[in-house]
Amino acid sequence: MEILTGNELLSGAAVYLDADGNWVAEIDRARLFAKDEAEARDAAIAASKATGRIVGVEIETVKMVDGRVVADRIRERIRAEGPTAPAFPRQELGEDGHVSI
Amino acid sequence: MTAASKIAAAPVAQDKLRALGIMALNGMFDEMDALGVLRQAATELLAGDIAIVSSFGADSAVLLHLVAQVDPSMPVFFLETGKHFPETLAYVETLKRQLGLINVTALHPDPADLARFDPDGTLWETDPDSCCHIRKTEPLEPITEQFGGWVTGRKRFQTRERGVLPHFELTSDDRIKINPLAYFSDADVNAYKAEHGLPEHPLYAVGYKSIGCAPCTSIVAEGEDPRAGRWRGLNKKECGIHFDFNGAIAKPMAATAELKLFKDGAFTADPFRAWAEGDDPASVRYTHVPLPEFLAARDAFLANPHPLGLLVSSGDKVENVEGDLSRFASIAVRFPAFTDGRGYSTGRLLSERLGYGGELRAVGDVLQDQIPLMRRCGFNAFVVEHEPTRKALREGRLPEVSIFYQPVGTTEVPLGTRPYLRRAAPATR
Amino acid sequence: MYRYDEFDAAFVRERTAQFSDQVNRRLTGELNEDQFRPLRLMNGLYLQLHAYMLRVAVPYGTLSGRQMRKLAHIARTYDRGYGHFTTRQNIQFNWPRLKDVPEILAELASVEMHAIQTSGNCIRNVTTDQFAGAAADEIIDPRPVAEIIRQWSSLHPEFSYLPRKFKIAITGAPADRAAIRFHDIGLQAATNAAGDVGWEVWVGGGLGRTPMIGKMINGFVPNEHLLAYLESILRVYNRYGRRDNKYKARIKILVHEEGLETIKAQVEAEFSEVRGGVLTLPQEELDRIGSYFAPPSFEDLPATPIDIARETILDPAYGRWLDNNIFSHYRPGYASVTISLKPIGGAPGDATDAQMEAVADLAERYSFDELRVSHEQNLVLPHVRVADLRAVYDGLVEAGLAEGNAGLITDMIACPGLDFCALANARSIPIAQAISHKFAAPERQAEIGDLKIKISGCINACGHHHVGHIGILGVEKKGTELYQITLGGDGTEHASVGKILGPGFVADAVPDAIERLVDVYLGRRETPDEPFIATVRRLGDAPFKEALYGTT
Repeated sequence: MEILTGNELLSGAAVYLDADGNWVAEIDRARLFAKDEAEARDAAIAASKATGRIVGVEIETVKMVDGRVVADRIRERIRAEGPTAPAFPRQELGEDGHVSI
Repeated sequence: MTAASKIAAAPVAQDKLRALGIMALNGMFDEMDALGVLRQAATELLAGDIAIVSSFGADSAVLLHLVAQVDPSMPVFFLETGKHFPETLAYVETLKRQLGLINVTALHPDPADLARFDPDGTLWETDPDSCCHIRKTEPLEPITEQFGGWVTGRKRFQTRERGVLPHFELTSDDRIKINPLAYFSDADVNAYKAEHGLPEHPLYAVGYKSIGCAPCTSIVAEGEDPRAGRWRGLNKKECGIHFDFNGAIAKPMAATAELKLFKDGAFTADPFRAWAEGDDPASVRYTHVPLPEFLAARDAFLANPHPLGLLVSSGDKVENVEGDLSRFASIAVRFPAFTDGRGYSTGRLLSERLGYGGELRAVGDVLQDQIPLMRRCGFNAFVVEHEPTRKALREGRLPEVSIFYQPVGTTEVPLGTRPYLRRAAPATR
Repeated sequence: MYRYDEFDAAFVRERTAQFSDQVNRRLTGELNEDQFRPLRLMNGLYLQLHAYMLRVAVPYGTLSGRQMRKLAHIARTYDRGYGHFTTRQNIQFNWPRLKDVPEILAELASVEMHAIQTSGNCIRNVTTDQFAGAAADEIIDPRPVAEIIRQWSSLHPEFSYLPRKFKIAITGAPADRAAIRFHDIGLQAATNAAGDVGWEVWVGGGLGRTPMIGKMINGFVPNEHLLAYLESILRVYNRYGRRDNKYKARIKILVHEEGLETIKAQVEAEFSEVRGGVLTLPQEELDRIGSYFAPPSFEDLPATPIDIARETILDPAYGRWLDNNIFSHYRPGYASVTISLKPIGGAPGDATDAQMEAVADLAERYSFDELRVSHEQNLVLPHVRVADLRAVYDGLVEAGLAEGNAGLITDMIACPGLDFCALANARSIPIAQAISHKFAAPERQAEIGDLKIKISGCINACGHHHVGHIGILGVEKKGTELYQITLGGDGTEHASVGKILGPGFVADAVPDAIERLVDVYLGRRETPDEPFIATVRRLGDAPFKEALYGTT
């Protein structure tokens, strides 16, 4: 399965596209695109680019593990959880950081 | 309109010309007998039925001097488009006074047309043909009907399209055009001016050879076609009023493509075009010739009499054309992407080391954040595709650091002046 | 140190305004990200995994107390209370928000700092010896020339869009503490037959994907022609450097592919055109800039020997600190102090706002208000009276900065790695932390002696792993972080690039692997004074390989 992720322009925070077209902070809320949904996925990418508010939109492959969305790449797992050393909470989206497509 | 006093019968002209036979009429005068041509027209052929439209441009003085000799009261119309150089308006007064012309009338555009089509005065920029139409053709139209004949200052040498031009012409609406200067060359005009001590248009001395409205006139390079400075790059060689007197020709055309060449502080029409497959090195004109093409047919290009430009792409070595740089009226340096900085070195080599002093234009991915750097590297013209950049240039707000540390460019702080490396930006070119 | 005059201040102010305008145009959508990215990078603003990262220039690693306090203020106000000092003598903030960046830059400008050219394909911050102007072995203080290069290279119109980034390092001492042979251009002070001091110019060094040791392109360029010579190199590079492949775009590849002689011929041809022109540096200018770097008002003190053995008995931690963190000063009675940013288990190079304030205090009180950042990610108090060392140490203890491990195995370089960096393939900091814990015992570190471990989280080698005596390179294989170990690298005047010993290790296995290498050294060194790198050179890879992978 695939999800869409990027960084929100103002805060730089890592965000994920949810099922309602909102870019949200939690990977667990990400919309899961099945293999046969490439068209919908690409449309969502195009729509996101048009907003200009999400930087570096990428497709990431994920699995469901114990009801949670877990990215295949370590990089994405760290993006979703925050730095491990020194451990810090992730960047918060500002009030002006809520973007929808 | 103050010149509506005289209603003449146009058909007379046609009859007379037909009677005389145009061939015969054109054979009557020596090529250079301008005064004879004009006198015949004004006193016999079209007595009391002839007028002249003068631009009061760089070489208008000769024709007006002839007019004054034949008949100082001949109606002279001046198209006061509202876009003239102040020098031109002053020149109108100078010539009236000095030549003793007593019947000069200024024709103004219809305020209603201006309000409707050109409320902010920038129509010339987007649609020069329509601008000419409302400022020249329309005001002139009611006047043309009043005279059977018109004197023009057109000359054969002026443009290629005028290679054949007789003294007398019959127009499609059966009027006669008289071209006393048809056979005059540039040199003849100058000799005449000198012989009779005629005053120069104030802008002639600074490089304007063919002067129209200010926005559409630019300086003509040495050796360039004198009218090249008019409507530069707009594929517009003639003002509609010369083609015909019934206004039919000068229909407003579709808006010309937006101007992209930024030079001398403004967007201006671009006389140059890109090299195309199949262009002939011997005859191509106003074209940026890619450097490798130039080298491949160097002799033919050097023998080509027309103005030429050079296109330098990333990776081309300008040193290879070092000796030929003076051949080019414009050098375009291509930035294939704004992140490709080779063009900056090229610019400095051309302007600082190789002594090229002509138009140096940046083409390709030219964005506002790079233009200040390009300027410092010698670029003085920019072809800009990016609309926000055009906007920034129009508004004169470039994101620029106006002071800098490095000695770059040709006008350097003398050595030992302190602080040694520093200077402020030159005034925006 | 250098102080801005009105011109410098106006320059930075205008640059800040320019960047603010660029940020604004990005926020309004006039600039898209593709257009904005190079602009923000040229002002040190990256977008990393979790947030933006702002890299602030510390020109040639020199700071005043006031500037350090401003960095602390920025860390506190706009970030998360800390900053990360880098191998390029800069500082990075990991959590700024885009809209705050113009304000941060204005704050920096108020203390004569900026982020100009800390990234992008331009000439980067010039780096130098952290002991410049203080070291006992120095021929000449390189900082005036470094400052002149900084000015010359700032927003250079011709060299702002080079094929790739361009790094210049300069050192005035024969012992190379600035890794000049691993820079695009390295400058080493040299003396000609007439006794004039000038510069040996090295070109084409670098780390990254294709590590190369720089080659000497000119054995002596006098001060007056140095800028002309640099401009010649840069022009040749700008015109002919590869732009078709970003991994082959550095000047090291140009030098490698064309050959030193070809490049040298091109540079010399260019130099013959520009030599003696407007870039000729007048002695008066050198003197003018040099006057900013005049030695502080040192007292005339007798040479003061430090009895480390005695101090060690009284206070072992202080003794260790004296043994490792003190560097010889050219003035009798003075010493340079390395403030280790490598506490056991810490993130190499990180300092909190409180620590920055504490260091600023110490600099103001004990070091003529001068501070340095070293490329080994430590801080330096360059001019401390030997008599004040104890007071300085006590201050550092209070701030949690008194680790006496400079130059030892726990004084590691590590890039931010995959915990922060968008380019990384593997984490670096946890590896450094684990190794640090493994070798935490001071006695053990002392027994091992000088050993430089350098860790990079990807092939770009920000952690300088190629020149670590032991280098560690993180890679990703099938979703797992693996760490390759290299041996025998050296960033000094005895430059060498480390060799990969074999297949990578998983993270948990790295500390043990390092320990096996160290054990080979301890077992095979000829005398306790033979340093690790010397033993490696003497023995070659084989015994170390065997220790890691067994006999084949």
